[in-house]
Formats: sequence, C-alpha cells, structure tokens
Amino acid sequence: MKLNIIDLPKDDYKGGPSSLCPGCGHDQISNVVITAAWENGIQPDRIAKMSGIGCSSKTPAYFLGKSHGFNTLHGRMPSVTTGANVTNKDLHYIGVSGDGDTASIGIGQFIHAIRRNLNMVYIIENNGVYGLTKGQYSATVEKGSQKRKAEANESPPIDLCAMAINLGCTFVARSFSGSKKQLTSLMRAAMSHRGTAIIDVISPCVTFSNNDESFRSYGYVKDNQSELHAYDYIPTFQPIADVEVPEGEFKDITLFDGSTLRLETIGGNHDPSDAVAALSQIHHAEQDQRHVTGLLYYNPEPKTLDEMLNLSDTPLSELTNEQLRPSEEDLASLLGDLRA
Amino acid sequence: METIVNDFTFNIATANGTGSQSANLILLQSMFKMGVPVSGKNLFPSNISGLPTWYIIRVSDAGYQAPGDRTHIQVLMNKATWDNDIASLESGTVVIYNSDVKLPVERDDLILYPIPMTTIARGLNPKLARMIANMVYVGVIAELIGLDSTILDNAVNKQFNGKAKAIELNATAITLGREYVVENFEQICPYALEAREVNPESFIIDGNEAVALGSLFGGVTMLSWYPITPSTSIAEGIISHLPRLRSDDNEQLTCAVIQSEDELAAAGMVVGAGWAGGRAMTCTSGPGISLMSEFVGLAYFSEVPGVIWDVNRVGPSTGLPTRTQQGDLSMLYEVGHGDTKHLVLIPGTIEECFEFGWRAFDLAERFQTIVFGFSDLDLGMNHWICNGFDYPEKMDRGKVLHSQEEIDAIENFGRYRDVDGDGICYRTLPGSGLEPILYRGTGHDEDAVYSEDPEVYVANMARLKRKIDGARTVLPQPILREEPEMQVGIIYYGSMENTIQEIDDILEATGLKVSQCRLRSLPISPVVEEFVANHEQIIVLEVNRDGQLYGILRKELPIKLVPRVHSVAFSDGLPPRARKYSEMIREKLLEVMS
Repeated sequence: MKLNIIDLPKDDYKGGPSSLCPGCGHDQISNVVITAAWENGIQPDRIAKMSGIGCSSKTPAYFLGKSHGFNTLHGRMPSVTTGANVTNKDLHYIGVSGDGDTASIGIGQFIHAIRRNLNMVYIIENNGVYGLTKGQYSATVEKGSQKRKAEANESPPIDLCAMAINLGCTFVARSFSGSKKQLTSLMRAAMSHRGTAIIDVISPCVTFSNNDESFRSYGYVKDNQSELHAYDYIPTFQPIADVEVPEGEFKDITLFDGSTLRLETIGGNHDPSDAVAALSQIHHAEQDQRHVTGLLYYNPEPKTLDEMLNLSDTPLSELTNEQLRPSEEDLASLLGDLRA
Repeated sequence: METIVNDFTFNIATANGTGSQSANLILLQSMFKMGVPVSGKNLFPSNISGLPTWYIIRVSDAGYQAPGDRTHIQVLMNKATWDNDIASLESGTVVIYNSDVKLPVERDDLILYPIPMTTIARGLNPKLARMIANMVYVGVIAELIGLDSTILDNAVNKQFNGKAKAIELNATAITLGREYVVENFEQICPYALEAREVNPESFIIDGNEAVALGSLFGGVTMLSWYPITPSTSIAEGIISHLPRLRSDDNEQLTCAVIQSEDELAAAGMVVGAGWAGGRAMTCTSGPGISLMSEFVGLAYFSEVPGVIWDVNRVGPSTGLPTRTQQGDLSMLYEVGHGDTKHLVLIPGTIEECFEFGWRAFDLAERFQTIVFGFSDLDLGMNHWICNGFDYPEKMDRGKVLHSQEEIDAIENFGRYRDVDGDGICYRTLPGSGLEPILYRGTGHDEDAVYSEDPEVYVANMARLKRKIDGARTVLPQPILREEPEMQVGIIYYGSMENTIQEIDDILEATGLKVSQCRLRSLPISPVVEEFVANHEQIIVLEVNRDGQLYGILRKELPIKLVPRVHSVAFSDGLPPRARKYSEMIREKLLEVMS
C-alpha cells in the first residue's frame, strides 16, 4: 500500500460516502482535499474541518474522517473557525463554504475573516445556485442567467476573489473542480500558507445549473477557462534539486512551511504579488465571459490573527488550570489596589 | 430645625459630556472613605454630549442603596432641565445652583444656595471653566454637609491619578466653592455628614468590572465582543486587567480578545472556542442576545460550553439604551428555536458578579452548554460598595477525555451516549488525536452521526432535558430570609436586592411582615417550590412589564400552588425605588386577599 511521508495510507484521509448528486463538482473537490492533505503528509488529527450550511457544507462528512470537524450555521463558518483558531492556533483549519453561504448570508463573516488574516484554508464551492433548496440563483451567478422556470437574473455577480484581493487577503486563487491537477497544486499550496487562503472553486451543479450556456457548467468552464500558470507544488520533504526544471519560464514561490509553488508561464505573465494586475485579470475575464483560474494574488507578509493577539506559545486549550487562573496572591494584590 | 445626619439623597443635574462624572465620583468616594454607606447612580442619556444627565447619591446609615424616593439636596447645572428639576422638589429641599446660568428659581419654600460657579471657574482657567464649575459644587457641598477635607483631597488625587496640574486646579476650585459658602451664607444646611467606622475591606466598584475580574479569575481564554451599552465595560474591564492578571512568563497572553463584526460573530467565536477546548465568553445586552439566538441553539443541541453575559437595558427593540430593566429573563431561559432551556446565573450583588463571573465557566463546561450571566445596567454600571472577593473554588473542566485509556474504560463510547445517567456525555477535543467527531446542528445519534430517526430524536431531546434539569440543584441556590409568620413571601432576583431591604422596612412599618426568596439561577431550584408551599401568598417582584419570572413559575410550579402566586412587575427605566414597589405589593395583596 502506498504510504505518505508520515507513513499513512490515503484511506486514513477519506471520509464517509457522499450523499450529493452523482457527478457533483463538490465531490471532486473533496477528493482533492483528501489527496492534498495526504500528499502534504499532514497528521489527520491536526486538521479541523469546518463548514457552514448547504450542499458544500455537507462535504466535511465525506473527507478526512479522522479529523474533528464542525458543521456550523449558515454563513457562520468563519466566526466559529475564528474562536477555534485562537483557542488552538496549532491546528490546520480547512473551511468549506458555498456561494450562498459565503456571498450572501455569510458575506460579513467572510470579509472579517480575511480582514483578520485568520490562518485557514477557505474553500468556496461556487456553483451559482442554491442546491439544497432546489436551484435558486445565488449572488455569484452571472447577469442574464436564465433558469427554466424563473425570471432571468438581472443583478450583477459578486466576484469573491476580487473582493478578497481588495480586502488584502494573503492568498487568493480560483480554480475549477474539473481541473484536478491545478486544484490539487493550489490546495497543497494553500495548506502550506500561513494566513487566510481563499480558493474559489467553480463547481458545476449537475442538477440545477449544468446546461451548456450556463456560466458554471462543465462544458462552458472547460471551453472558456484562462489559466494564469501551470503549477507544480514541491513539498519540503522533496529536494527541489530533484525536480525536473521546466523548459519554459517559471517562478518559484516559497510558502510559509518551506515548500515551493512553482509557477510555469503558459501564456501571459501574471505576477501574483501585484494586486492591481490580479484585479485586472478578473475584470478582463468577466468582460470576455471567461473564467480566469490560478493563483491570483499572494502576499506572505501580514501577521495572522493569532500573531496579532500575542498569545502564549502553548495553545490556550492546552494550558493547565494553574496557568489559566491568577493566584491567590494576585487576588490579594488586586484587592489591595482597589481598597487604596 | 433639626439636622438630619447620614440619611439624604443628592440629585445632581448636569449636561452629558461636561466632566461632571469626575466631580460626582469624588463626592461619592469621599463620603465612602468617611465610612458612610453610599451608593451612586448615573442616569445618563444615549448621547456623547449635551443631553441631560442626573447623578444620584444616596447617603444612608440604614444601608439603603435604592435611589431615594425624594431629593434632599439638588444641584442645578443644566438649563435644559432647570424648570422641571425645580418643580419636582419637595418643600425644604436644599438647592445649590449655578447663578451664572441666569435662570430664576421661583420658589420660596426651598433653601437656596446661588453660587456663581462659572465666574469662579473662569477666574481659575477660562478654557476649562465648564468642567471646573463642577468642582465648585463639590466644594459647596463639602462645606455644607461637612465633608472631611483631607479625605476629599485624597479623592481628588485618586480621581486625577496623581497628575499634579489637574489636582491643583480642581483642589483650588473646591476650596473656592467652600470659601464662597462661608463668606456668603449664614443659613444652616439641615443635612450633615458624620463619619462612621471605616471598613478597611470595602471599596467602590461597578458590577461590570466585578464580572470582568471574575471572568479573568475563571480562566477565560477568549472574549469576543461587540460594543453595546451597558455591557461594554465588561469587555473593557477584561482588556484593562488582562496584562496584569493573564500574562505568562514570556509576557504573552493566556486569553484572546476579539472585537467582532457583530453579535452573531461574537457568539460564533464563543461556540468555536468552546468546541476547541477553551473557556469562551461574550458580553452583550438584549439586542445582542436576539442576534445570538441561532448560535445559542446550536450550542445547546451540539453541546458546546460557552458563557454569555447579558447586561439588561430597556427593551423592546433599541428601547431606552441607557436605562435599566429585567426584561430579558424569559428570553434568556428559552432563547433559540425549537425546545431549548438554558442555565442562567443571576447575581444580585457585586460579590456575586465576581463569583458568577468565574463559576459560569465551571458550569458551562460541566453541563456542556451555554451559561448566561444576567445582570442589568443598574448593577453593571452604577457604583456599589463591595467587601472584597473570595478566591474561586477548584476549577471544574467537565467530562473531557484526554487519553485512549479513558475512552477504553467507557463501554461503548459515543459523544452523545449517556454513560453516567446524568444526561452529560463525555467529549474529546480537536487536536487530541482521540475519537474524531463532526459536530453538527442537525439531528444526530449517540455516536454523533446524522440521524432523522424519530426514536433517536426523542431520546436525545429527553436526555438534554434531563441534563438541564440536573442543574437545578447544582446552580447557585436561592437565598431565603423567612419570617416566622410565613404568611406572605416575596420572590425576587438580581439588582432588586439593593431595594428589597427598604421595601421590607416600609411594609413592616405598615404591619406587614414578609419573607424573602432571592432567586439566583434558572432553571429554578426545588427550594423555590418549598418556599411557595410554605407561604399563603407569594409576590413575584420584578423590573419588567409582564412578570417574566412569574410566567416561568406558573409554568413550572405544581398547578395547586399556582393560585397563591401573584405578579408585581413594573419598569420605567429607572432603578427600582422602594416606595413605588412597596405600594404595588400592598395593593396586590389587598386585591388578592379581599
């Protein structure tokens, strides 16, 4: 049996059987989460999987069965993750959300998680519809989208990647559930990042939004995807010298844990440290009715929330009762001051 | 005229934002340091500057802490309320007023002290005249009632934190106020202060700071909060004491503080932190609880510990944001959709604010649920005499499994399997490497697996009920003061504690002896049922319109006891005054006994 760097089989990263519709893009994303965590050699019990409510938010039951998790409330995954993160800052937090969960009911929490640079991977499984309530438009759906039994959508879409970049998010990527290789590299890189890593994954809803003219159908995304780079993730335990050097131009990004994301030029020359260029990529793609995918923006500098709070080195959840409670002498001294 | 000693009430009418709070606190501190029992109440507007504010100081050898039913010494500084303030005074009231305001005091039955406060203050410092004028009335009062000057100097020193310039300026203003009285008035003030024995253990503090300190000694590891009057000073208290009380050897903190984007997020952070093994809390008021209700339901159903302090202000809606009420009690008890019940701790004293501050975490972790602390603006933001805090009892972290051996010792372990018969199950924590669980707000079986099975649902809900009911004898029990007559009993709670003695004395003066039962938690203790059974008539006394505790008692007491239970409930936004409530009690008893 094939084992990863910490001698665990891939089965140790799998979850229960999926109850989503056969062919759902979300299941492909779950598989990528499993592969990425396994290939990165993260101890499953050091991962916390978090989600909100919706089809996407059910998926933590389908991956990483040996990790603790919390399927929280609609749009509230970020706040629960925030509380958990400051309590145990040493865990890997992987949050799963959808476009309803993030772009509508939870948009405030999405914004503020980014603003705090909460150290987590935030996956948006973005299909443009509310699946569990049977196909209503979400706030990311394209203008003019026409569902069979409904009026056309007249409102412009919210682009969560553009929003994240504007908010100073430290890792922003867009990918496609059907682009397994790209998504896996980006997912592995996100897991190696320190700070909020947003991956907005276009994930077709095979039941409610998969007609070919639909902007997020398999057929449409396949034909209208503009990839920024080709990616190769090189983990710390793989000597970079052993990795074959690409023929064309490339650029290496060193991630927080020492691993490398290799960006190979396949067309344009996007620089992910340039926020304005990233926004320009998004807006041009939107104009052209295409999807731009890849690492849009990356900035390793900002402090994360737990760093800003100057917390004890030991996670707060592991402190002893004696470390948490001030002493009797502390109380006596405090009362002395109050009485003065 | 006879001099009245240590039994009078000040009402100081100023405009918000003029710095009168410093003057009032100096007065309060000085009287307190003379050993005289005092309490201070700030009736302030929802405003930063300009709207009327009244500060009430009750001086009472009897230890009464409610705002008095009448004013004995009125200070007038505010044009806007001038006429109304004067009109409401009883004959013989001492009125100290700023004569520079040039408004008339057209009553000849008052004892008047016109003082050119602005002129005196301008002479000292024209720029700061508005603030210094307040210090002039401190000097006037000091001279009139006989406030000890050394003690007053110390209070000024403390208030201005040793800043020499400010101390000198304010102390001079006080001296000038004193001198003006000596030089210009021959009449004798009928109210006087006499020093009493000073209790060296006591100090003045507000309830919110006591909750903050209690929480810090309770080992809080995360505070998430969103600013809202009147709870904000709990968060600010924690933040200000955090470096001193909760820094480790590396000067790093053992408690995270996050100002959240709203109350929903604040509650979400509490649930996340409690899930991850922390002691988490937030503090808010009624509007915040409304927003938090979905998370409270999640914590109840998925069984995650957390603490939420509600410092009650006047509802419904935005209501009277800077006034007090006990209007959130029934909401706290059952907040959330579906069948829920929550633990509510109800402090009535400053000492209990501290105690329930730490105890809330022990109870939350023991019962794996949300514990509410229920305070109000009166207890939380006003100034009370406190005799000190007792060091907390041994910490109770609840049923948390830390090793595989502990899990193996349990036959057929499941997150929601009741192995001890008390409805409380064992949990493992994320990061422990033990028995992973996917927490959820959806229906789940004993192994935490999703389930819509009717029998599984019924069993789970029954266990949750059993768990919460088990707290009835564990939570802080009622405090009883029973009269041998056992005829009439009053059940009350929270900050009414500060008015009850005076109510009791007023009733006793009319020949009515009442027993008292102060409820300190929900769900109600069996002791309450006994108390009701032992008395012929029961009055449930509370500061709200609808009689919220009365409603809970009607629902939970045996039906044969219900007819003897009656509601006296009233709320006008002000701290409860003894005369009003004792009259209502007498009327209610006359009505039900006739």
